[in-house]
Amino acid sequence: MKIPYFPGCSLKSDAAHFEQSAIEFSKTLGVELVELPNWNCCGTVHSLTTDDIMHHLACVRNMVHAQELGKQLGTNKLITLCAMCYNTLAQVNELAKKKPDDLKTANEFIDDLPDYEGKVEVLHLLTFLNNYVSFEKIAKVVKGRLNGLKLAPYYGCLLVRPEHVKVDDRERPVLLSKLLGMVGAKCVEFPYAVECCGSYHTVNLKEAVIEKTYTIVNNARENGADAIVLSCPLCEFNLDKRQKDVKAVYPTFEPMPVFYFTELLALASGKKVNVNAHYVSPENVLRKYGL
Amino acid sequence: MPRRSVIEMELIRGYPEYMRESIEMVAKTREARAKEVMRRLTLEEREEVLKGFHPDYKPDAKVEIKIGPSKGEKAPKEVERLLEAEPLIDESDVDLTKVDFDVDILIIGAGGAGTVAALWAYYSGVPKENILMCTKLRHGDSNTMMAQGGIQSADRPEDSPAIHYLDVLGGGHFTNNPDLVEKLVMEAPRIIKWHESLGVMYDKDANNNFIEISGGGTSRFRMHSAKDYTGMEIMRVLRDEFRNLGMKVLEFTSAVELLTGEDGEVTGAVLFNMETKQYYVVRAKAVILATGGFGRLHIMDFPTTNHYGATGDGLVLAYRAGARLVDMDSVQYHPTGAAYPEPIVGLLITEKVRGLGAQVINKIGKQFVFPLEPRDVEAASIIKECYSTENYVVTPTGLRGVWLDSPLIELLRGEGTVVKSLGAMHRMFARFGIDMSQDPILTFPTLHYQNGGVAINVNAETDVRGLFACGEVAGGIHGKNRLMGNSLLDVNVFGKIAGISAAKYVKHKHSKGKLTLNHLKKYRKELKEAGIKSELKSPMLLPDYRGKAVLSRKLDIVV
Amino acid sequence: MEETKMIKVYIMGKEHEVPEGLTIMKAIEYAGYKIVRGAGCRAGFCGACATVYRKANDYKLRVALACQTVAEDGMYLTEIPFVPANKAIYDIEKVTPKANIILQHYPEVARCVACNTCTKSCPQDLKVMDYIQAMKRGDIAKAAELSFDCVQCGLCAARCPAEIVHYHAAQLARRIYGKYIAKPSPNLEKRIKEIEEGKYDEEIKKLKQMPLEEMKKKYMEQQKNAEKERD
Repeated sequence: MKIPYFPGCSLKSDAAHFEQSAIEFSKTLGVELVELPNWNCCGTVHSLTTDDIMHHLACVRNMVHAQELGKQLGTNKLITLCAMCYNTLAQVNELAKKKPDDLKTANEFIDDLPDYEGKVEVLHLLTFLNNYVSFEKIAKVVKGRLNGLKLAPYYGCLLVRPEHVKVDDRERPVLLSKLLGMVGAKCVEFPYAVECCGSYHTVNLKEAVIEKTYTIVNNARENGADAIVLSCPLCEFNLDKRQKDVKAVYPTFEPMPVFYFTELLALASGKKVNVNAHYVSPENVLRKYGL
Repeated sequence: MPRRSVIEMELIRGYPEYMRESIEMVAKTREARAKEVMRRLTLEEREEVLKGFHPDYKPDAKVEIKIGPSKGEKAPKEVERLLEAEPLIDESDVDLTKVDFDVDILIIGAGGAGTVAALWAYYSGVPKENILMCTKLRHGDSNTMMAQGGIQSADRPEDSPAIHYLDVLGGGHFTNNPDLVEKLVMEAPRIIKWHESLGVMYDKDANNNFIEISGGGTSRFRMHSAKDYTGMEIMRVLRDEFRNLGMKVLEFTSAVELLTGEDGEVTGAVLFNMETKQYYVVRAKAVILATGGFGRLHIMDFPTTNHYGATGDGLVLAYRAGARLVDMDSVQYHPTGAAYPEPIVGLLITEKVRGLGAQVINKIGKQFVFPLEPRDVEAASIIKECYSTENYVVTPTGLRGVWLDSPLIELLRGEGTVVKSLGAMHRMFARFGIDMSQDPILTFPTLHYQNGGVAINVNAETDVRGLFACGEVAGGIHGKNRLMGNSLLDVNVFGKIAGISAAKYVKHKHSKGKLTLNHLKKYRKELKEAGIKSELKSPMLLPDYRGKAVLSRKLDIVV
Repeated sequence: MEETKMIKVYIMGKEHEVPEGLTIMKAIEYAGYKIVRGAGCRAGFCGACATVYRKANDYKLRVALACQTVAEDGMYLTEIPFVPANKAIYDIEKVTPKANIILQHYPEVARCVACNTCTKSCPQDLKVMDYIQAMKRGDIAKAAELSFDCVQCGLCAARCPAEIVHYHAAQLARRIYGKYIAKPSPNLEKRIKEIEEGKYDEEIKKLKQMPLEEMKKKYMEQQKNAEKERD
């Protein structure tokens, strides 16, 4: 099965291991993620101003690319990995469906591409795996097991909010726990699963993010986790790379590795984790579980 | 003669129907020609075609210079007129006691040579505050920017600086200054290395070596290129580096006269702000002339490939200050200027087109000259075909030309090569509906390069103390004919040498000289003695292309 | 003989009659303007003559290089000879080819909304937005390649709603590519070493002292044995 796929900017640089593991794992399921030709930045962050069509153009352009590639591949689906991209694309896609007049305006402005017809279905990989592959099938296909690796599943904001684009329950999401549980991980109760990571404050208000990361990582540890698992390059940056800054402020702080969920799926299906892509090295934790 | 209405003419993929007939013939012979190699001319045959058809050999092309250090030597009449014209300013116009810029080095001209000189003067320890560059247009507006095909450097194992040396000398009919040629070829690889380190994007192969092709009169593949924007790429990078270093350039500010000291040494210049019309007095320990060439003088009424400011100002400035000129009797016509469509007539079609395999073809689809003879020989051969046979193509406006069979490149090197390696050329013709990867393009020689210029030695010093010269304004390097790819090399090599030499010179020179225009007195005296009374003023600064109707009704009222 | 047909063009709003078939630049000059700012190479390489225009009865704002475009009847035009745009200052020796390097020097690149106006404003028909997008995702090689034919006229920067200075950012991308991503040529290194060791001094000295006739013979020999095209 070939499905159009939107990577997003981070997956081409800092989060290359996210993309790579997702592509590899999908292959083991017989799913080929086909990168959109000429895709552009999703246009993050989604603009909430009702008449701000200019800031939705980036998404609409991507939708056109997805629509055209989809026609060739015989599908109307578009898969994304980054929670931020997913959220932005999905929200604009909803608007395009609900507000045909605005879509017309956007289409007329984008005179170098075919019109967007409003029919693409934007899916986060998690949703795709759940709805169109099934976790049971994954459990059957994946040969290896994660040996009871204790994980704190972290969703942050953008996978579960707002209501009309959420991939799971807003307050008590379970998809990650279910999925990773099927391949042998043990996900702990984690009250901070939908806490904000501090997001873009990381650029000019590092202190705020340091506090967030300190709290979230400690909470994961207190609940018995050995690692955090997530699906957003910005959350990953704040929760993984910012641990260095946390340590500088809180010298007794104990670092904890952070994984993309696709890294663990790929690991469970026999691939290696690229430990060099991590700030907090996962080597000790992996060794502890014989992985 | 009234022009025929080109726009209303029915065009088929950019060409009128009658030209299409000839294009058909070119297409028909293409496959057979792909394997056909024309014989190179012997030295005697070269001589013969040059004498018969090169514009330099026309009886009225050149005249004797009547005054000054190169008195008695020949130069194009368009140059001679400027060398014997009235200065733009005289002593009473300017107050030389008030110095606006007091620097170690003044560089006149901000193209390739000027910018390279500025950078190397800075590298050589002259503080950036003590280096001032000026240009009558914008920084980078120059022939360097327009050089397309490439830059020579003998760096392949099959090649050597000695082979390069002999190619240069033979191309120049053995009239070059051998010491300058030696500098040129020996310095070439180090220049390319410098460019690499600055981040110039040369075309490279899978092993990171340069993709090199041949040019007219070169016996090895030696042409380094950056698509067909080689000069633009080099110029952009040099300018970016200059800006990063925070160096100073005065744009739209031309030099109108050099200043000399008590012993005749150059001590600065009078600059002219072309926008506010104000003048500046610059005092400098050394002046580097990097003013470029003279294409915009339209020698023998030829159109030119040159940029807007190529009016030979440096020749005039240097000559009045007492510098000798060399090889002014030879002018380079590029064999392949555009001959059609009309709006781009005379613009350069890079030699790289022939370097990649395109042949020169007449009206009936036949080759008549080896495509990569040295430029003067190639140009003369094309003129011969157009003016001594019937096998030329006439454009709707009455110009004559021959075909450059660019589609042959696709045949030889694979589909897509034209767009990939000749993007600028392809774009230029595509703007007029012509796809040069499918159809040949019509060419005729165009005024391209000032072979001669101000005489310099291996340190880029002129005959006048304190005055250095580099780039197209300098002469002797290429003798009577320059080879392709040696001008980009020349501006870099001698720009570098000028920068280093001037830096050395100002380090040892503790006091700055007096600022006078005494050399103008001498110059005027010579004009008078020779009985010359010119209506013309020089340097020219910019050519005047305004409509005749407007100029005939012009009033000089200051507003 | 036909008479030269005259057309009307509106230069900065003022009506002028000019002969048909001239480039915009030559039409401006024919109308009596001596250009100081707004002409450079006159051949499509320097970006000095960026021009915006509208045709009669057409809402579209079009762009051109004045030296490379023929004036048309009813054209409303002006040259834009300068665009204010700040260039980042950097030491190329200290810049590294990491993914976010362009964003570090030109953070406004991140503001791109993918409207594609820059691409539509490019008289060279470059995919400007695509190279800005490549920069955003850290693909310096792609940005360098897509921007290579840029003449730096600045029209993209003049039209961009995100106030990006595309052509300056692209210059940085290309220099990083040329210096760091493209590797030094091994042939060149070797040749420089040879030159510095004086390998060619003797040979050139001999050539310089050679009698003219002998040298001519050697030259023609060299030309005759010129390298042939490799397969």
